[in-house]
Amino acid sequence: MSASGTITKSTGTDLQLATFYVGELLLSLPIEFVQEINRNLELTEVPHAPEHVRGVINLRGDVATVIDLRRILGFDPAVVSSHSRNLIVRAGDESIGLWVDRIADIISISSDSISPSPANVSGADGRFFKGVYRTESEIVVILDVDEVLSVE
Amino acid sequence: MPFDDPALLAEFVTESREHLADIEGELLQIEANGANIDVDLVNQVFRAIHSIKGAAGFMGLTRVNELAHALENVLGKMRNKEITPDSPIVDVMLKAADELSGLINNIESSNDVDVSGHVELLNQIFQNCSAHVPAAEVPVEDSAVDTPAAVAEQPEPESKPTPATPSVAKQPPTEPTAPVKQTAAPQVESSIRVQVGVLDRLMNLAGELVLGRNQLLQSVNSTDGNSLQAVSARLDQVTSELQEAIMQTRMQPIGNVFNKFPRVVRDLSAKLEKQCHVVMEGGEVEVDKTIIEAIGDPLTHMVRNSVDHGIEMPERRMEANKNPTGTITLKAYHKAGKVRIDICDDGGGIDTQRLKAKAVDKGIITKERAAQMSERDAVWLVFHPGFSTAEKVSDLSGRGVGMDVVRTNIEKIGGSVDIESTLGTGTTIQITLPLTLAIIPSMLIRSGGRRFAVPQVNIVELVRVRGSETAQRISNVKGARVLRLRGTLLPLVELNRALNFAGANDKEDAPDGPRQIVVVESGQFRYGLIVDEIDDSEEIVVKPLGRHLKSCVCLAGATILGDGHVAPILDVSGIAAKTDLRTHDQETVQDHSNEDPLRSGERHSLLMFTNGPEEHFAVPMTLISRIERIRIDQIDTVGGQELLQYRGTSLPLLAIDRLIEAKSRAETENVHVVVFQIQGREVGLIAAHLNDIREVAVDIDGTTFREPGVAGSIVLDEKTIRMLDLYELTCKAHPNWFAEKKIEQANAPSSCTILLAEDSGFFRKKAKDYLMGEGFSVVDCEDGQYAWDHLSGPDHGIDLVITDIEMPRMNGFELTSRIKTDPELSNLPVVALTSLASDEDQRRGAEVGVDDYQIKMDRERVLSAVWRLLNKYGKTNKKTSPSTAKPEGCFS
Repeated sequence: MSASGTITKSTGTDLQLATFYVGELLLSLPIEFVQEINRNLELTEVPHAPEHVRGVINLRGDVATVIDLRRILGFDPAVVSSHSRNLIVRAGDESIGLWVDRIADIISISSDSISPSPANVSGADGRFFKGVYRTESEIVVILDVDEVLSVE
Repeated sequence: MPFDDPALLAEFVTESREHLADIEGELLQIEANGANIDVDLVNQVFRAIHSIKGAAGFMGLTRVNELAHALENVLGKMRNKEITPDSPIVDVMLKAADELSGLINNIESSNDVDVSGHVELLNQIFQNCSAHVPAAEVPVEDSAVDTPAAVAEQPEPESKPTPATPSVAKQPPTEPTAPVKQTAAPQVESSIRVQVGVLDRLMNLAGELVLGRNQLLQSVNSTDGNSLQAVSARLDQVTSELQEAIMQTRMQPIGNVFNKFPRVVRDLSAKLEKQCHVVMEGGEVEVDKTIIEAIGDPLTHMVRNSVDHGIEMPERRMEANKNPTGTITLKAYHKAGKVRIDICDDGGGIDTQRLKAKAVDKGIITKERAAQMSERDAVWLVFHPGFSTAEKVSDLSGRGVGMDVVRTNIEKIGGSVDIESTLGTGTTIQITLPLTLAIIPSMLIRSGGRRFAVPQVNIVELVRVRGSETAQRISNVKGARVLRLRGTLLPLVELNRALNFAGANDKEDAPDGPRQIVVVESGQFRYGLIVDEIDDSEEIVVKPLGRHLKSCVCLAGATILGDGHVAPILDVSGIAAKTDLRTHDQETVQDHSNEDPLRSGERHSLLMFTNGPEEHFAVPMTLISRIERIRIDQIDTVGGQELLQYRGTSLPLLAIDRLIEAKSRAETENVHVVVFQIQGREVGLIAAHLNDIREVAVDIDGTTFREPGVAGSIVLDEKTIRMLDLYELTCKAHPNWFAEKKIEQANAPSSCTILLAEDSGFFRKKAKDYLMGEGFSVVDCEDGQYAWDHLSGPDHGIDLVITDIEMPRMNGFELTSRIKTDPELSNLPVVALTSLASDEDQRRGAEVGVDDYQIKMDRERVLSAVWRLLNKYGKTNKKTSPSTAKPEGCFS
């Protein structure tokens, strides 16, 4: 799967982004990447799992890994709150959950308005970002799912 | 692009693969037939290649077309018996067929592959014999043009009256296609193509259904509603059936894997200048496709090993009076709900001395250990990492993969490997595989507040160490925690710690707390897992873990429990590797600490239990078939006889307190039933509380507590334990079962005299009693020397010898050896008695000429062996043995 293809091909057309917060950072993903968002926070810890793996959940009969985005981006581990959600993305033949702190809006933008991401956004490593989009009040960072999921 | 229709191309690939699937075997058969050409068989191959050629030409797959064409030419000549297939020719053809498969597997790039080498070789074969029929080549060339190419090869078969070609002119368009359909048709009927994706989805659904059932069962158990129970029972049944049906769709015959071996063996033996042939049985046995996929490589490795290291060079085989052609037998069959695959060769076998020497060299075992090692254990050394038996590692089987990898791979899919080898006669490797990997029985355990599943195949037993015994049974040896279990030391792994859970030290701080230990086994390696709790057994659906968790070697996957939670499945070999348990250490560790004084005498494995309070009993383990745990309310009483309804039949139960002087059974909710066989029936002995199974070596006092049903008593750990005589107990409870036998005994002869050599007074008396009870005269001797003195004396009058193995002055082996080598006595049957039937003893016994091996306490079997041997050696003459003496298992 290739996120870059989707973005560049849709030049001139509208792009829908699902936005969400990880810490103070407003992140987003093209909506077609998002399989579902759920509140299934009953994680089973996995012994000897890498640090950024929070655990596994039962996703309607399949065992899905849940990744702590905060850890990947170099922040402190996430804390459970009433806003915490699993954002399930499809990656190859498996579904993977991204643990996010809060779900925000879905926004429609023109892909022309995306600018390249700086090397560092709010202290997070720029390699996980595809670009940024500026609203009047905020900066929406577009996440590179492939890069995030390739962290071993 | 010559092939712009991907759907058509895919169809071509699938079809061609089907055509090619059998070609290898058929070519090998053609080779085996040699000059005696089976025209139908050649035709079959011809048609397959021809179809490929035609379609390839049509689709513009030029290389496939060229190669198929050249192959077809040769086959055409062969069909006309103008070429006699021999090894070099078939070799070229096989390689060409391989290349063809290669092209088809990478069809997109097939036009860029250089196939001229193969084509040239084939053409050479074709031309060498076609000098006298040059015309044939031209029309065949034409045939490459398009699909109805069949027209072309008709000129050749003209000479041969092939049934389907009476008239060339009219038939061509139908003739070549019709037979192709013929071969394809039965396949369509017997199997259908199902997309793997669809199957996987079905499998998932079945899995979910299983989960739903589990959920329902759980809620039913907690609410106790009758209607719900019926529903759940139904659901249970439906689920199981659906599961089975769906599994069936995934089953494939193991022959799919086997079929490649004739070729593998042929090529390899040619390269090594050996002669081997392969015999395959049970190719129709079906296993899950996941297993078929997983077993291919390990099997290939083992078959290669057999050719490379097993089968000797033809000259050496002739020297050893063997057929110069070695045989490798592959056999698949069902056994106890699993699939077994045997790979046998009649080669040189494994030289254990060399193996040991090498293991010592490599530091795998110590010299002392090597000296003590039994043959069997020594053979197992080949499974140690970094071991290769060939003196020089050949590039064929020793390609950096050892038997240890084979073993690990088989264990990974829940299977096990066993090996047996006799020097000079051959080696047998036995693989046991589960039928499927998708749903497995497992045991749920808890550790660190979390739940885990352990596959049942890995579990040997569950051990609970009581708080009061913890200090005594669990200790540190060389820095590692071990459990004393029946005289051996079992390495222990604390699961909490192995899994790095916080608070793993809590247990250590409470040395007196009870411990739950799951004894697990991966391969030959056993260890105990200390867990917090053992929950329940459950059939679980195995789900793979995501890519981020591939590095978790301790886990084999995950499953979803009845309550919807995920539980990881433990990988016992992974845990052993992670915690760095070393196998060879374990083997050398023997518990010498508290049993030393008992080691002097003969050892018996005894099941110890209490029935009434503080009343201890023991039963020899060798007589026990199995032990069941039941609830008291499962016991029915019918006419004063206690019965257990069980597996569709009823099992008669014996209550100790009704048969001998004993206190009545303690009131408990559950009891154990010790099941044994007597007179061909199964009987259960009720035991209120099981204490231990121990190997002990103590003198048995045969007088103090002697009564019918009690053989004697032993003193162990300052407790007096009464040894039960199961035969007498049953006799007492059910005299009618034995009545028939009594009558026959009355007719039995008393003229047979048996010499009994046994140093233990207890067993000598015991055996003498029952032999005399059977109507024999008995001469009893205290050791082998006395026995020998008697036998070598004048007119000994002995018809059969029963001897113990371990005796002072002259042991049973030596006595037997003397008897069997003495010209006068060699015809005297010898039954050896032992308290622990070890393989090693049996082997030695067989070597010196023991006719039969029996376990001391097993009165029925000893007697039946005696009768059998007396008859066999014609000692009974006119007399007949009781019909009840069954010729069952000599080597129990």
